[in-house]
Amino acid sequence: MDITRRELISTIAKTGVPAAVAVSVGAPSLHAETENIPVPSAAVGLLYDASICIGCKACVSACAEANDTPADTRSDALHQAPNDLNDLTRNIIKLYKPEDGSISSFVKRQCMQCLDPACAAGCPFQALHKDPETGIVGWTAEQCIGCRYCTITCPYHVPRFQWQGYNPRVTKCELCSTRLEKGLRPGCTTVCPTGAVIFGPRTVLLDEAHQRIRKNPGRYYQERVYGERDNGGTQCLYLSRVPFEKLGLPELGVESVPAKTLRWQRRLYQYFALPALLYVGLVQVIRKSLKGHEHEAHEREKETGLRAQL
Amino acid sequence: MSTATINNPADTSGKTRWERAVPVYGFPVVNRTFIVLVGMTLLAFLLTAYRELAGLGPVSGMNDAYGWGIWKTFNVMVLTALGSGAFAVGIAAWVFRRKRLHALMRMALLTSFLAYACGLLLLGIDAGRPWNFYWIVFPWRWNFHSPLAEVAICMSIYAMIPLAVENIPPVLERLWYFDSRLRPGVERLERGLHKFFPWIIAAAYLLPGMHQSSLGALMLLAGERVHPLWQTPWLPLLYLGAATFMSFGCVAGTTMLCCVVWKRAMDMEVLDEAARITSWLIFGWLGFRLLDILFRGALGTAFHFDRFAGVFWLEMFTVAMGGWMLRRSLRTHETRYMFLGYVLSSLGGMVYRFSPTTLAFRPNPESLYFPSAIEVLVSLGFICMGIAGFLLIVKRFGILPAPLQEWHDMASYFRFRRPYIRWTGYFKYGYFGDNEETESD
Ligand code: SF4
Ligand code: SF4
Ligand code: SF4
Repeated sequence: MDITRRELISTIAKTGVPAAVAVSVGAPSLHAETENIPVPSAAVGLLYDASICIGCKACVSACAEANDTPADTRSDALHQAPNDLNDLTRNIIKLYKPEDGSISSFVKRQCMQCLDPACAAGCPFQALHKDPETGIVGWTAEQCIGCRYCTITCPYHVPRFQWQGYNPRVTKCELCSTRLEKGLRPGCTTVCPTGAVIFGPRTVLLDEAHQRIRKNPGRYYQERVYGERDNGGTQCLYLSRVPFEKLGLPELGVESVPAKTLRWQRRLYQYFALPALLYVGLVQVIRKSLKGHEHEAHEREKETGLRAQL
Repeated sequence: MSTATINNPADTSGKTRWERAVPVYGFPVVNRTFIVLVGMTLLAFLLTAYRELAGLGPVSGMNDAYGWGIWKTFNVMVLTALGSGAFAVGIAAWVFRRKRLHALMRMALLTSFLAYACGLLLLGIDAGRPWNFYWIVFPWRWNFHSPLAEVAICMSIYAMIPLAVENIPPVLERLWYFDSRLRPGVERLERGLHKFFPWIIAAAYLLPGMHQSSLGALMLLAGERVHPLWQTPWLPLLYLGAATFMSFGCVAGTTMLCCVVWKRAMDMEVLDEAARITSWLIFGWLGFRLLDILFRGALGTAFHFDRFAGVFWLEMFTVAMGGWMLRRSLRTHETRYMFLGYVLSSLGGMVYRFSPTTLAFRPNPESLYFPSAIEVLVSLGFICMGIAGFLLIVKRFGILPAPLQEWHDMASYFRFRRPYIRWTGYFKYGYFGDNEETESD
């Protein structure tokens, strides 16, 4: 009772043809989805101009204060001096200083509020979720299973997991959404002495950035706003004199990471059509195998007098 | 059926033919190995309790750069691949109708169930906020696009429904033999079960096909951070492919090992068939992997002198070597090479499945991860639990395939040498087949 060629072909045809139809029907809608990532209606964000930041780190302590987190004094038990984002630090200032003495730069790192966030794309029960209006990617404790997938998927390596304690949390900048509700600005933007980081609607910030580039020709790296199109677009925008990669902002291309990497995954599972068809096909084949197998087993049972084992 | 036929069973050809799953009888379950295994398991439970209170940081080497440690990357990613036997061997036996492979099915189902159960338990222990897993029963909360949701949901459903149900027949069989009063009930249950079998079995192939590939898809989102020798859009398919030959190796290799340890005859027809399929799976997989690397233009990085190239060649070499040994054993009929072939190819596959998350993962900022002692002990403890479960079950249920003769030997063994053992109800009736007249109580 080998599977016959004819049966195989007919099964493939039976499941394959509708499957191909399903995929090709599904594909155009996917294309539309990947090419234009919608910008939320009231998208807000930050504009950080690395070239005017003086590295005072006022924004770091203001961030901790605004989020009601204790100061992270773990490095020397005295100063609030975290050396990277961590479970107590949503915002950090780092210094890029090349060996050869060429131009150095500070960089402020926090969540970019991506338009198509990879962290939310991977989060299994939507604990990380992009607000459809403000576009802020927020974290909900009740839906987070603590899998730490977000720490792996985020291309900017932003979300951090709390490694201590029985009730760990995931920490990332949520653009002070609770302050925004009260009509306040995000903590970091309220204290910046030079205006290196400002808050506003994404469109306004983009205009401002382009204006700065126009006014200071040759000042900014590639005369480009990082985040306008990078990674499908982000709501936090960067201007810099040094290459963005040096500041920890990788060149990801204009397509967002989830769109780029999960395209086939999404297509195959669209509406669950393909798996369902495959399932039906499998049931048919197995039903037939089972009949043959049972038959043989019972024949054998008669021969040996021992109860058939299926 | 007269006693004469039973004491002189038909098999006189000299060629072993696995026909019946027979418990491993005549060996005590509790021996030194078993006690050590149980001890390790209990230790792991204790450490788990500590982990739940203290958090992940104090017990593991995980850090902000390596958010995932061996609990996920080894016990789940690697061991469930070894435990995909129910999927790979099952498809060969049921869908492609390699009939002889049915002899290995019970082994495949059992190893899969144990591997998945241990993997799922560790997945729960590894999760920082496991109590929130209850969202799994609210489909509208699922993130359908997340490979991790796919893995978590699909894996738990698979292990709890199709895989568990497929493992019921040996249990029912034991009950059937245990007491004749149970028989009508058992038979009714069996009939009911058989009605649903096609649907259950089909689900048992569809679901692992989905989540074993999604395990590969997990690392797609990590993008550039996975070294180009591993990062490819085909990662899901390669993960699935690795799972197929690794699990064949696990099922056939374990069966061979059991045959050696418990002195059982091997059916070379079945083993050859499995080895042939495995070797083709291996070469197909290797070819596909190399072609993929070639077409993406990543081959150059394989000749850099760094840890990535080292891991890559190690993996390629062990898998290829395993495949070659399997081919060789098919020619020369040396079981030693066959076993080694399974071991090597599975080891190579394990390295492959382990790499994208750990060995070939380049976090930014660069940092190192090395599992802590507690992490290793917990991981080992859960593996020990699986092995202990395996040892217990093969000695109490008909799992391991054997020639017909073995069944008769077992019956006489208990009838004459261990008449005082109560649980031999299993064998008391099996000896006489359907003959009810000899029943005394
Ligand atoms: S920067 Fe990272 S954490 Fe922030 S929205 Fe994007 S993917 Fe999510
Ligand atoms: S750790 Fe929590 S927030 Fe991050 S991906 Fe997992 S469930 Fe989502
Ligand atoms: S407060 Fe402003 S100037 Fe000071 S470190 Fe922060 S961004 Fe730079």
